Amino acid sequence: MSLKKFMKELGNDKIEGELVKTIFISLLASFAILALLYFFKLRYVENFIPKYGIFIFLAILGYSLIIPSVKHVRAYKEFACMSGMMIGMTIGMIAGFLPGFYLASTNGMFMGSVLGMALGMFLGVWNGKCCGIMGVMEGIMAGFMGGLMGAMTSTMMLNDNLRTMAFVVFGISAIILIGLNYMIYKETREMETSENGDAFFTIFWSILLTTITTWFMVFGPRSALFS
Amino acid sequence: MIIKKTTLYFALTFIIIVAAGFFLLSRGDSNQNATGSVGSGSVQKVVIGMKNLNYYPNTIKVKANQPVRIYLDSSVTGCLRSFTIRDFGIAKYLKTPDDYVEFMPTKKGTFRFACSMGMGTGTLVVE
Repeated sequence: MSLKKFMKELGNDKIEGELVKTIFISLLASFAILALLYFFKLRYVENFIPKYGIFIFLAILGYSLIIPSVKHVRAYKEFACMSGMMIGMTIGMIAGFLPGFYLASTNGMFMGSVLGMALGMFLGVWNGKCCGIMGVMEGIMAGFMGGLMGAMTSTMMLNDNLRTMAFVVFGISAIILIGLNYMIYKETREMETSENGDAFFTIFWSILLTTITTWFMVFGPRSALFS
Repeated sequence: MIIKKTTLYFALTFIIIVAAGFFLLSRGDSNQNATGSVGSGSVQKVVIGMKNLNYYPNTIKVKANQPVRIYLDSSVTGCLRSFTIRDFGIAKYLKTPDDYVEFMPTKKGTFRFACSMGMGTGTLVVE
């Protein structure tokens, strides 16, 4: 069961075959809502693209990788303890770290930590419960840590190469999430999927996460550093 | 020629990322530095550097009721460039050595200045 075989499975009719499609739908939905927000409201915000463009762009790319992973986990519903804990930890950590990092880059550490922890803990618990209380605890702790760490990292890099680091962080997170999908695939070969999920799930979460992140970045409270 | 479903989605994903990236990554003037307001009268200028991972000098003496302008030179790096004096409501990110904070020390005494994370500290003496 190699990575090559997993790549082949990306074209099948099961949930693995939906992963690339889900990324595409998520990106489409996120950029569509961003375009709408831009047309009606954000274009009147001074220096919107130079100030926020790169961070919103990377946040959307991050969400487009997190949502397929969530969908992948939901398709199998139940996992062994070890796998479930890894799922809760990975999704909680990445879903906390990325929004925390990007939001703290524009609004400061407080706002970044709050949103990062909220998203990380919520998604960590939601996915970690696939194996019971251990996965839930792992998801809570990882979301809590990821949200704080992401925000703290970007705050400490304000005077350094923050924008380059934003790409590095995204790249590493992408590799980790692809690794998680591969792990789920390996652990579930004998299992039947209970659902393949529909596009509504992807569109709903993409729009919600993009809107929340963009809105907080532009109109949310800022720390003294950015006032 | 039949294009595989996965290849098609890969290609479409790539196109949407490039298109959105082209729009969102265009850079302009993103300089967010704020500069303090200029006070009246002669300004007391102070330039602070960095030594042993702290501000240097880390004790500054200024006269009361005369505007003070503080610069951080190029040796100051990291979070120490985010300069705060809580007692005077100062909290600014001084991105370059040309950026400064300016305030009026209206009360006499000894006050603490620090970076926003409290990792670098010093004392401001208003006489």
